[in-house]
Amino acid sequence: MSSQAATLAIDHHHDATTSTGIPNKKLFMWAFLASDCMFFGALISTHLIYRLHPPPGSPSPRTIFSIELTSFSTFILLMSSLLMALAVNAIQRGDVRSTRRNLLGTIFFGLIFLGCQVYEFNHFVSEKGLTLSSSIFGSTFYTLTGTHGCHVAIGVLWLTLMYVRTFKPAEADSGAQPWLTSTFAHLVLFALAIVSWMYLVLALIHGVQETGLGLATLGHWAGEHVVVLGAGIVLAVALNVMGRVRGAVDFGQANAIDVEGAGLYWHFVDIVWIVIFTAVYLLEYL
Amino acid sequence: MDALARSNFIGKEAQPDAARPWIFTRPTAKTGIVSWLTTVDHKRIGLLYGMSALFFFLVGGVEALMIRIQLAVPNNTFVSHAVYNELFTMHATTMIFLAVMPLSAAFFNYIMPLQIGARDVAFPRLNGFAYWVFLAGAIILNVGWFMRSGAPDIGWFGYAPLTSKAFSNQFASDVSTDLWIMGLQILGVSSIIGSLNFIVTIINLRAPGMTMMRMPVFTWMTLVTAFLIILSFPAITIALVELMMDRSFDTNFFEVSKGGLPILWQHLFWVFGHPEVYILILPAMGIISEILPTFSRKPLFGYPIVVFSGACIGFLGFGVWSHHMFTTGMGTVATAAFALMTMAIAVPTGVKIFNWIGTLWGGHLSMRTPMMFALGFVWMFMMGGFSGIMHSAAPADSQQQDSYFVVAHFHYVLIGGSVFALLAGIHYWFPLVFGRKVSELWGKLSFWVIFIGFNTTFFPMHFLGLNGMPRRTAVYDGNMGWNTPNFIATVGAFILAVGIGIYFAVMIYTYFKGEKAGRDPWDGRTLEWSLPNPPPEYNYAVIPTIHARDAYWYEKHHRDEIARENAEHAQAEASHGGIHMPSQSWFPLVTALGLLGGGLCFGCKDAINATMSGWGMTGHNFGILFAIGFGVMVFLGALLWALEAPGGYHVHAEEEKH
Amino acid sequence: MMPVLPIRPLLRRALLGLAVTAMPLVFGGWSWLEGPQSTLQTAGPVAAEQAKVFYVTVWVTISIFVVVAGTLAYATLRFRARNAADEHVAPPEQSHGNPLIELSLIAASVLALVIIAVPTLRAIWYSYDVPEEEKANMYEVNATGYQWWFRFEYPKEQIDGSGTLVAANELVIPAHRPVRVNLRTTDVIHSFWVPKLAGKVDMIPNRGNHLWLNADQPGYYWGQCAEYCGESHAVMRFRVIALDEKDFAAWLTHQKQPGRTVAAAAMADERPKAQFASYKFTPVRRNAPGWTEQFDADPFGHWKQQQQPDPEEDPVLIAKGRQLFTQKTCAGCHTVRGQEGAGRIGPDLTHVGARTTIAGGLLENSPQNLHRWITDPNNVKPGNKMYYGTGGMQGYVKRNGETWEQNITVSDEEAHALVAYLRSLK
Repeated sequence: MSSQAATLAIDHHHDATTSTGIPNKKLFMWAFLASDCMFFGALISTHLIYRLHPPPGSPSPRTIFSIELTSFSTFILLMSSLLMALAVNAIQRGDVRSTRRNLLGTIFFGLIFLGCQVYEFNHFVSEKGLTLSSSIFGSTFYTLTGTHGCHVAIGVLWLTLMYVRTFKPAEADSGAQPWLTSTFAHLVLFALAIVSWMYLVLALIHGVQETGLGLATLGHWAGEHVVVLGAGIVLAVALNVMGRVRGAVDFGQANAIDVEGAGLYWHFVDIVWIVIFTAVYLLEYL
Repeated sequence: MDALARSNFIGKEAQPDAARPWIFTRPTAKTGIVSWLTTVDHKRIGLLYGMSALFFFLVGGVEALMIRIQLAVPNNTFVSHAVYNELFTMHATTMIFLAVMPLSAAFFNYIMPLQIGARDVAFPRLNGFAYWVFLAGAIILNVGWFMRSGAPDIGWFGYAPLTSKAFSNQFASDVSTDLWIMGLQILGVSSIIGSLNFIVTIINLRAPGMTMMRMPVFTWMTLVTAFLIILSFPAITIALVELMMDRSFDTNFFEVSKGGLPILWQHLFWVFGHPEVYILILPAMGIISEILPTFSRKPLFGYPIVVFSGACIGFLGFGVWSHHMFTTGMGTVATAAFALMTMAIAVPTGVKIFNWIGTLWGGHLSMRTPMMFALGFVWMFMMGGFSGIMHSAAPADSQQQDSYFVVAHFHYVLIGGSVFALLAGIHYWFPLVFGRKVSELWGKLSFWVIFIGFNTTFFPMHFLGLNGMPRRTAVYDGNMGWNTPNFIATVGAFILAVGIGIYFAVMIYTYFKGEKAGRDPWDGRTLEWSLPNPPPEYNYAVIPTIHARDAYWYEKHHRDEIARENAEHAQAEASHGGIHMPSQSWFPLVTALGLLGGGLCFGCKDAINATMSGWGMTGHNFGILFAIGFGVMVFLGALLWALEAPGGYHVHAEEEKH
Repeated sequence: MMPVLPIRPLLRRALLGLAVTAMPLVFGGWSWLEGPQSTLQTAGPVAAEQAKVFYVTVWVTISIFVVVAGTLAYATLRFRARNAADEHVAPPEQSHGNPLIELSLIAASVLALVIIAVPTLRAIWYSYDVPEEEKANMYEVNATGYQWWFRFEYPKEQIDGSGTLVAANELVIPAHRPVRVNLRTTDVIHSFWVPKLAGKVDMIPNRGNHLWLNADQPGYYWGQCAEYCGESHAVMRFRVIALDEKDFAAWLTHQKQPGRTVAAAAMADERPKAQFASYKFTPVRRNAPGWTEQFDADPFGHWKQQQQPDPEEDPVLIAKGRQLFTQKTCAGCHTVRGQEGAGRIGPDLTHVGARTTIAGGLLENSPQNLHRWITDPNNVKPGNKMYYGTGGMQGYVKRNGETWEQNITVSDEEAHALVAYLRSLK
């Protein structure tokens, strides 16, 4: 099921073609992450400096935050790192099916995190009146957590592309043209599915908040969004069908470095979140 | 350039994959415009960087001349205050980001892979991308000259809150500051991507036997500079992001009325800005550390100490940023700490000068043009270093800060230092790159005219500063005692311009008509001189094995041993199908074009929206919508780039007869 | 290889010639350090201390320079290849360095830096704030930077009913006394620099900076904004006038008086009056100098003279000028205490006639220059708020979409009246 290289034992920690034995892509990623550290360092510093010098009339973050929700999304992001690690491990073993499963899981958890952030931002703006321009705290908070959110979103996009990439048929079986077409179809389906399901979930949360959790709410929700719900179900089925491709694929142990690169990025973004969660949220509760 | 491209390609190319869809068809042109637009060859990219940098060097030079004309006499009316402010802003921005940095990058690209015995950089397509993104940023920075807003006029340091909309758009809607922000951000992307590539290349693509402590000093300085870039550019990028958010989305980072702290901008800017100084000078030091040993015909004196002091300068460079802020009222302890740190950084810098003199000592100095520029560098850099030490004494600096004394100081470091070294480097590697040698007479003449013009321009500025003339002033009164030095400086600037004119005229003449140079014309010491000139596309027919620090010097004195090794390697490589070359690609260019369009649309969004509403279309932020459109182009470009895969083909080098 | 070049003897001669011509230039250079903003001809202990540190750095670096440059020059001359044949001899010994020499050179540089560091540290603490033992004798003023002028406030000098004493662009201080200047700004960053008295310190929004200075002698000192602050940064200047104790007290007393009205007695004066005051205005080009040599010969004397009323003043013209001051909406931004106007957007004009400069220290306060400034402000100081207006106040022009149209015009006759009025405000 996996690539022709699957039978070869590949040492994933050594690349004989480089001077140091570290694969180029891995070294690149580490150097990039060092640089990215400085990006977040500058943003977090800005936030902390303004925390130390709050202008008069600054809002109290404790009255704005909902620490339970953020703790939950932090936990989710941590778990996504676990799945990411499993995906890397799976591809290093050459197990493409397991890789796909874990990638999907990581994407799913990443989306939950992003959903929580969207919900949080929306809640802060509409309920607490905290906007980009309302105060310095608003500016630093949204810019910092927003930049992190962008990183997660880019990570989700990257993993999605990686997921679709795992279906590339082995060169011998078919030409590239049909594959390219099916790749784009796959991507579009994926994107539509994500949008529709995110929409449905947010609508459901909204409904639950409005009228409480109950069958009536559920029915009302299903009735009101019947078109989207139908589309969501169709898309989910379509994705499932596309995911059942058998036949040899051009993706295997040799691509472990690509998954590992994405993994490094994902873990880094996760660690950055731990720092942000501490410096921006937990610090307010000390 | 065609001659170069033609002579490069030896060997035959693999057949293109018939099954590939048209969009993934790899361009294979080896000559003509397409070959340059799609190139992944580090040497061609180096040349592109070099040509662009020299173009902008001349643009910045013209800006400088206009500044000097305005200041030639007191109360001059050659340009208005507003235009003068645009001129000094763009002169600095152009010279730093569009001339010296890319010229260094040109050498990194062209020379560094040759010095470590590599066939290309680690990520060839990314390398092309870095160049095209650089060009996009350069265009965005300069497009203001052709717009109603004019060019940016906030100083290259863009101190908040002068950059906020409340001040820049006081009397007219002004997108020049937005374009400055976008341009610098995009240049930052280019620098970081380029540097990541260099880091991986140097660490991973060294030829067998090329240990870190055998690397040429220029390669070492490339590595240190690349690390400085990836660690310092994020600070200014974030500062620019915050400023962009302030201007475009009404945040309050530097909004004084909402409690914003403009001093924060200064810290973020100089956390980048001071390492930037070393980003400009370390490559120059690397070039000098190549030229002096070659023309002294002996190894660099104290190689480990030169390397270590370079790394040390890079490291300490992150701890001295506030010496640009001695007058901001930091308090006694912070001022003292930064003053002492600044003095400390003088030590590794001085060490380099000692070692260069040590290199000359006991050598056989051939006084060729590159050597003249290199010695000129040592003298001028010494002068700039000494006035730098004067600045480290914070109380003295409180009189010199933002005066012409500082202008004199950093021009001694940046022209006498960086530019002299880069001009030396062009002369030094010209025979390697173009296969021709510059006439010694004309080369030396250009050196002396430049040297005299430079000192005539900038030495009097020390006196101007000590006599209380502040910088960035479009006019001065005739009763301040500044008239004579200013006039001399302007005369000097024209002498300098003539010198630069001679320099480049000679270069252009030599490119077409110059004397042909044989292999290794300077009796070189480092690996790049082992190549035929101009070097073939694959650089090394056989990847060399390195046995000593001055690898080629060793090779020249151990010919049999090297020939035996090379034969073995060649055989091994042939059995793998020949030399593997990366395929050319359109996508770096396409993706960079997306960035260019996006940057322009986002930067000009106010102007675009005004135009659209002039056409009766309102209700949408069209500038941002267009920018998003170009963002999709960036995404698709990057996606197709990823999907087309690295590709590649094999060539078989026919070992040329030499 | 290259042939030997005939250029070397030529060069040697050229260099010698250059050195000879450079001599008077270098020594003549000292006369380049005697301007009114010289940082080395100091007039107070703070600037003197800073100059002292500068001289330490100069002597240390020159000493190092002589040694290092001497070695470099010697090495270059001694080891150079003298002819083509020389270039082809066997390469010299391939030596790689000498750790002992390197380490001792490093130690020597550290030592040289210590010589600089000690006075540096002392001067950092000295120049930061008024020394404790002198604090009791300290005088305090507030300076605020605006685009492009300075407001000076005397927090200790209260005027009944109208708060603290305020002046603009000319800071009058007591000599022989430490003066602490609190530095503020409400728009962009500026920097307060009177080179002869003290090094600069920036005025930064939302940040309370200060500096201190002490004028050794009563006198007249030039200052200038030293941080780029927008279009007209180049012409943002000011003066510091140091007075001895008696004169300073008298000046304060006079400053606290409301704006001077030309007395009725003067109106009754039968002396013939000049029809349009005593000057004829001739337009000048942009950036034309606003200073005179007579003034520069004795600026302090001129300042004292400027405190006295003009013997030629014309009460009728002054009264007309006072009317115009309101009509032309000057009073919206400027204050003439005791008369019209309570605006704080522009400089306080209560005693503008007694100042030696106008337009932010750019032009000498002469009728010609006042006329020029009032009739054509944008060419004197481009981008200024008197011309463009600010914060709801309209200036000489007002905005109409993307273009500007004329709002206030000042005719030649009106200008004469306004000049007479402003000149009378001693």
